[in-house]
Amino acid sequence: MSDNRLDVDTLVVGGGIAGMQASLDLADQGYQVALVERDPSIGGKMIGLSKVFPTLDCCSCITTPKMAAVAHHDNIPLLTYSEVESVASNKNGFVAQVLRKPRYVQEEDCTGCRSCELVCPIDLPDDENEFGRTSHRVIYVPFTTAVPQTALIDLDHCIYCGKCIKACPPDAIDFTQQPEHLEIEAKTIVLATGYEVTPYDAKKEYGAGKLGNVIDALMMERLLAPTGPYGRVLRPSDGKQPDSIAYVQCAGSRDLTLGVSYCSRVCCMYAIKQAMLLSGALPMADITIYYMDIRTFGKGYEQFYQNAKTMGIEFVKGKVARITEDENQNPVVRVELIDENSRVAERTHDLVVLSVGMLPGWNPQATFGVPVAEAGFIQIPDCNVSPTVTTQPGIYATGTAAGPMDIVDTIMTAGAAAAEAAAYMQNHKEQEPAVPEAAPAMRDKRSTVHA
Amino acid sequence: MTAKERDEAKKQTEMLAALRKQHSDQVKQAQALLKEQQNVRKTLRGAMKAGPRTVPQLAEATGLPSAEVLWQVTAMKKYGLVIEEGLNEDYEYYLYALSEEVKR
Repeated sequence: MSDNRLDVDTLVVGGGIAGMQASLDLADQGYQVALVERDPSIGGKMIGLSKVFPTLDCCSCITTPKMAAVAHHDNIPLLTYSEVESVASNKNGFVAQVLRKPRYVQEEDCTGCRSCELVCPIDLPDDENEFGRTSHRVIYVPFTTAVPQTALIDLDHCIYCGKCIKACPPDAIDFTQQPEHLEIEAKTIVLATGYEVTPYDAKKEYGAGKLGNVIDALMMERLLAPTGPYGRVLRPSDGKQPDSIAYVQCAGSRDLTLGVSYCSRVCCMYAIKQAMLLSGALPMADITIYYMDIRTFGKGYEQFYQNAKTMGIEFVKGKVARITEDENQNPVVRVELIDENSRVAERTHDLVVLSVGMLPGWNPQATFGVPVAEAGFIQIPDCNVSPTVTTQPGIYATGTAAGPMDIVDTIMTAGAAAAEAAAYMQNHKEQEPAVPEAAPAMRDKRSTVHA
Repeated sequence: MTAKERDEAKKQTEMLAALRKQHSDQVKQAQALLKEQQNVRKTLRGAMKAGPRTVPQLAEATGLPSAEVLWQVTAMKKYGLVIEEGLNEDYEYYLYALSEEVKR
């Protein structure tokens, strides 16, 4: 790898679970893979989750070994805090222009000791990883299990006091860093650009984000995770340990007022999972799930749902019309109880969780020339037969970049995208002109080409 | 400190001063944020001096909104300035106290 150019077999865009798995599957076969991640750490959404359904395995325990494997793989140059700006085709495949954003900390020198973070005087809301529920300093390592363990500085809030410079043992702080540009040539591309959740403040009926104790399910994942902001489940308005928690299903999916007509597939299962975890964390709490219908589509999922009912989680059929709050900031849910002759009731809870849906994380059309389908996810022309093959030869899509899916399906499509990319490279190689045995001059030329 | 180290320290001080000058507007805003944060923390430390307090108790004592108190206490806990001392007698709210580091 020269300073500003990299030749690889595959460029993987996105360092979440899909991108990491696709990178590892290709790199383990001997292919060179450049993994480009826009955030300062790989791990994606999954590293922030508490546990996976239906096994209730710890997310960190699954994700961190993969993050470490990616970072230490000889065949994977890892480029974090970097963005693909443009891509062009050439005779060998693709040439991508990548912007490497400055951390103002030398990546090769920083050991992640956090001495700088401890002396930095200013706390900022940690919006990137904790939805602003806790803080990080102006100079910070993104989170405990971040890969790489490299600090970065939010220069917009820096007072240039120099305390970090004095505290840094390897002298890694560098305020003179500038954005760098890198050119990556690759034969194939795997898009693993992931998802965003539907905005929890989009619906005025649900308080438009102004009710202190109405949060979304990704925020609840952080409250349930041992590494979360409070280290336990507390409600954000006043730190009360909630006694009554409600989930509002389809609070972002199957909702034409938000322009989301589709089912996001995972919300029923993650709500059931969170309800189970809350039962463990807060054994005395009442947990209610307001739903239109429960969709448990995967292996072991229906049993998981039945187990939740047995545990005492209350499932109430009815679409929540409105959420307000009382004088103690307790959310009040107005709901039509379908199984009680459609009686309209108002129920007060300590905390309400909106089961938000999935939106495409990014539109790759302008950069990669890969069209998106109606909902904004990457168009897959033959999704039953080739679920990772895009309209562009040599470009593959994996995970939620191609549509809402859970972690199990994401990992499966990551393997599929890696297999498709490997097959494409193999076929492309085989299509090169055959060299006649009795033509030593030409054989020499060929060996030169492939040297 | 050797002459070389003194020279480097001087260069560093000059570099930081130049950066502060170059980004003066943004530095002023960050300094204002720091000052506000220091004042809030001082008030909270004062309210916790008498012993462990819950978030609503701290909010009442300081006049700050309870969500703001929770954020500050969470941030202080993350960096070892505050410790959690179990639930209050109603088992509803956690109690927060100054860490030994701050008491010293």
